[in-house]
Amino acid sequence: MATNPPPPSERASEIIQKLPSSPNLITKTGTALLGVGAAATAISQELYVVNEETIVLIASIMVFTYIGKVIQEPYSQWAEGHIQRIKKVLNDARAEHTGAVQERIDSVGQMKDVVSVTENLFALSKETAKLEAENFVQLQKVTLASELKSVLDSWVRYEQHVKESEQADLTKTVIEKVVAALKDEKTQKDILTSAITEVEQLVKSKAI
Amino acid sequence: MTNLFIQSPLSQFEVVNLIGVNAPILGNLHLNLTNLGLYASFVLFIILGLHIYGNNDSRLIPNKWSISLESSYQSLNTMVREQIGSQSERYFPFIYSLFFFILIGNLISNVPYSFAITASGVVSLGLSFTIFIGVTILALSIHKLKFFAFFIPAGTPLNLVPLLVLIELVSYLARAVSLGVRLFANLTAGHTLLKILSTYLFKLFSGSLFIAILTLIPFAIFLALVGLEIAVSLIQAFVFTLLVCSYLRDAIELH
Repeated sequence: MATNPPPPSERASEIIQKLPSSPNLITKTGTALLGVGAAATAISQELYVVNEETIVLIASIMVFTYIGKVIQEPYSQWAEGHIQRIKKVLNDARAEHTGAVQERIDSVGQMKDVVSVTENLFALSKETAKLEAENFVQLQKVTLASELKSVLDSWVRYEQHVKESEQADLTKTVIEKVVAALKDEKTQKDILTSAITEVEQLVKSKAI
Repeated sequence: MTNLFIQSPLSQFEVVNLIGVNAPILGNLHLNLTNLGLYASFVLFIILGLHIYGNNDSRLIPNKWSISLESSYQSLNTMVREQIGSQSERYFPFIYSLFFFILIGNLISNVPYSFAITASGVVSLGLSFTIFIGVTILALSIHKLKFFAFFIPAGTPLNLVPLLVLIELVSYLARAVSLGVRLFANLTAGHTLLKILSTYLFKLFSGSLFIAILTLIPFAIFLALVGLEIAVSLIQAFVFTLLVCSYLRDAIELH
């Protein structure tokens, strides 16, 4: 022989390895041996009678096994697909619900400062109202002042006008009087006399 | 010398006592558990077991058994809804139970050495007569005397009424028998055929090696027949429930 048989010690350990042991109490070899042995014993002891029902038994086992093998895989796939579909629907619903809850939490979270913000806004609005009131008062004052100024200005203009008018009248009167006086011969004579007197004085004084 | 003892192919359908109690009390008490009773109990336990296991601890996500049960439920519900219509929900539990009782009874009978309860005239005819009586009572309670209009087809000439009523009555009464006989005859015929063929095959296999090898050809046909019996089990359960639905619809709608 080309290959040497294993040494006896190795062979013995192999056999020991094959012996049934817990948890693999029943090995395939053991089951086959036990099955054949039990069947042989049952038949020989007439515990089991081989008859036409045995044919039905064998045929049934073959048919059931065949049907089982043929159906098992497609059925498993179909059922698994169905289960996965149900799981998907449930998981999607859960995810959707979680999303909705998270969204709600976020939206509520966004409003967590709403009290302080509202208080600040209220204070700000109070401040604004106060400022607006002050502004109104100032505006009123400004309006009043401008009104007063315009009244005073117009008064000043009136006064000035009156004064100008009086001056014009005075000037006119003076000019008229002077013109009237100049028309008077006595006055003309007096003026001439005074003028000659002045010229003489100037000559005397050798001013000219 | 061996004595060859061949049982009748119909002997498998005999109802026999398995365990009995005879006591001279309570008017000579006589209680027996027959093979019919035993297998009917098996059917009950299998149906209960299937449904308890299929319930999957009431989990929301079904397992593979639950899927098969849910699928059966849906198929039956569709059938009942199509047949009976708007009032189908009321009759669905009955139809569902009936279907599973007949189906499991039929399938159990395909197991070798077992007993076919649905191939027993007592069970199948008992079921069909009970259903027939129930359906008739239902029709009478719904339609009162108008129920008898069921036996006169619309547009029948007056002189033909007695004849047609007779024919319709016979046809109506025949339902009680036909429903049970259909199930009983199919199952009995199938099991008897298998019994006869298996007897022949056993004899052929017991002969010489050459004949035994040749017998593998008829054995292949026998295998197909075993498969056919499983199909018949399903089909007969379906046909029985379908016809019950149809009778219920007739009782509710009168034509």
